[in-house]
Amino acid sequence: MNIVSTILSPVNEIADKLGANDLPYSIPIHPNLVHFTIGLFAIGIAFDFAGAFYPLEKRIFRFLALPATRSGFHDVGWYNVLACSVITFFTVAAGFYEMLLAVPLPGIRSIIGQNAIDTMLWHAIGGIALLLIIVVMTIWRGFQRFLWRKDYGRQVSWLYLGCGAVVLLAMGVHGSLGAWLASEFGVHITADQLLASGTDLRQVLP
Amino acid sequence: MPMIGLLLPPLNDKNLPWLDVIHPIVVHFVIAMALITVVFDLIGVLTRRRNLFEVSFWNLLVATVAIFVAIIFGQIEAGLATPYGASRDILNYHSTLGWSLAAILSLLTGWRYVARQKDPTVLPPGFLIFDSILAVLVLCQVYLGDKLVWVYGLHTVPVVEAVRSGALS
Repeated sequence: MNIVSTILSPVNEIADKLGANDLPYSIPIHPNLVHFTIGLFAIGIAFDFAGAFYPLEKRIFRFLALPATRSGFHDVGWYNVLACSVITFFTVAAGFYEMLLAVPLPGIRSIIGQNAIDTMLWHAIGGIALLLIIVVMTIWRGFQRFLWRKDYGRQVSWLYLGCGAVVLLAMGVHGSLGAWLASEFGVHITADQLLASGTDLRQVLP
Repeated sequence: MPMIGLLLPPLNDKNLPWLDVIHPIVVHFVIAMALITVVFDLIGVLTRRRNLFEVSFWNLLVATVAIFVAIIFGQIEAGLATPYGASRDILNYHSTLGWSLAAILSLLTGWRYVARQKDPTVLPPGFLIFDSILAVLVLCQVYLGDKLVWVYGLHTVPVVEAVRSGALS
């Protein structure tokens, strides 16, 4: 018999310090930091695209009476991705803490047929990989801004924009795994955990 | 149900006509952009980096466009949610504050637009005060939405199942 199947989860040792959602607080932190990681990266890349295609858009902005400069768009591209890099360390840190305390509902498979632990492991590895990619892309972005392309109107290479688009797609898949951990596996959702333990929600969750 | 039944695909085990909730995805772009606007405005004022005001202006504009998309999906998914107990009240507060934030964001963006036409390198006097009010309201709104998802589990499989079976109302 495998030793894993004979020992209890170490979470049980601190179970009395945790709430019904298996956390020492009621609202998970990681999903809230994710807003910043995804929002800042996506809009950062989007504005670098806007800067790259600026010659085509100039007339539209003039028509809208909305003054826009190419360097302004690239400023958004740089500062948003920079802010994303900083905050994503905290996103990943909070994610690992909350994953260590995760108690997914048993016997469930996600839409793509994965069980809870596979979903969690892929989401963990993906999170580390994305953090690394975001940081490397920010450094790459900085070199383009301050050295390699500082005299060009278009501050980023097409390769950078292509990579940004691919990373956004990867983020979409990665984010879906995370979303399923909540909506399918009920991780850290008070109501789902209470229902699984057979509690009457009308009594405990007024 | 009859009208929406004609327009949208059948509902799944999360009581949704699509795979997963869309509103929480769209709100990434409201929350992140609105709050980073405040951060960049503040850093811009403190460090006198005037190009940061341009960065915060565009982020504010994105937040303002995104909040209307968030409201459209929010209203559909709120209508399909199966709120119970106190989550009914929370959903009402969340909807009211959501529409109010759309108005507030639009007014702030309009104000910034006019000020920017005159001089894009200057933040209008007093704007930081309204920035901080915006940040507080956004954080309250996030807290209410978080309660709906993480405490009450609206649109999650077990809760929908419990409501459909009549165990929860």
